[in-house]
Amino acid sequence: MLLFCALLPFSAYAQNTRGEQYPEMYNEKPTSIVVMPSINTTNFVEAKEYFYTTLYQPLVEKGYYVFSPYLTMEMFQTESAYDSERFLDGDLSQFRHVLGADAVMFTIIKTWSRNSLSGYLTVGVEFILRSTLTGKTLYSREGTVSVNTSVQSTGGGLFGALVDLAATAISTATTDKIVAGRKCTAYVLSDFPAGRYSPEFEKDKEYKAKENHFKETVR
Amino acid sequence: MLASCSSTKPLYSWYNYERATYQYSKKNTEELQLKLLKEYERIIHHQKGSRGMVPPGMYAEYGYLLCKMGNPTEGLLFLKEEIKAYPESEQYISRIIKQLEQ
Repeated sequence: MLLFCALLPFSAYAQNTRGEQYPEMYNEKPTSIVVMPSINTTNFVEAKEYFYTTLYQPLVEKGYYVFSPYLTMEMFQTESAYDSERFLDGDLSQFRHVLGADAVMFTIIKTWSRNSLSGYLTVGVEFILRSTLTGKTLYSREGTVSVNTSVQSTGGGLFGALVDLAATAISTATTDKIVAGRKCTAYVLSDFPAGRYSPEFEKDKEYKAKENHFKETVR
Repeated sequence: MLASCSSTKPLYSWYNYERATYQYSKKNTEELQLKLLKEYERIIHHQKGSRGMVPPGMYAEYGYLLCKMGNPTEGLLFLKEEIKAYPESEQYISRIIKQLEQ
């Protein structure tokens, strides 16, 4: 038991660096990314739009040139590229030729469930970034994120608890799912290597990488 | 450990961009369109992010919206501004400009 406890801190530090976990990101150094409409395998139809539009801003903040989803959406719809499934394992060179994009970001929403009483929205999601030059996968992470949308009142006691419970139910039912989608995306991309417009560009190669498969709760 | 020492100041200021674009995409009213225009103007003219630059895509979105609102002269100028700020956008933005000029 003592030995196990002694080894535990060591194993926590024995994880890969970002450079080791995502070597192709650091080899290819993509500058521009096009975000594909999310692939939604759940019955919750709206999940697709909640993820599609919330990817742009965090990726830009990571230091990339990201093609505006509001502009590319029209092109995808007119040129039958709205079904991302067709491109997930396919040739991506046309995104390089038509847009000048270095990489394509895919998101696959695998599960979407809400618990009105606890206030948790749980989303199973996979992010895959592929190169338009080599077709290689540059980055991928998959897992489950629970977003706590519960409302905390300042009052205590039984009445306070009842108020919290009722407010949580309302909040979850009307929760701004864009915010939930953004929180989920922000968590997954927290490990995304920085792009050339970020002061962290290439410096983050030595940072400890997070796990590729995750299960996390965010507020 | 290293990651925790990294800078957390945003590269760009976005104001209420996300909400404004989402609302306008859901409901194409004149009021929401004006609200969105104001957000673009704030983002373009009042940048407080660490880069001191307009975020990728903002000149293009603003210019495109101006064109759609019947102001192609100014709209095209902003689309060209996107290429100046971000040369990697040239291929795509030139394509949009070509379509709008037809």
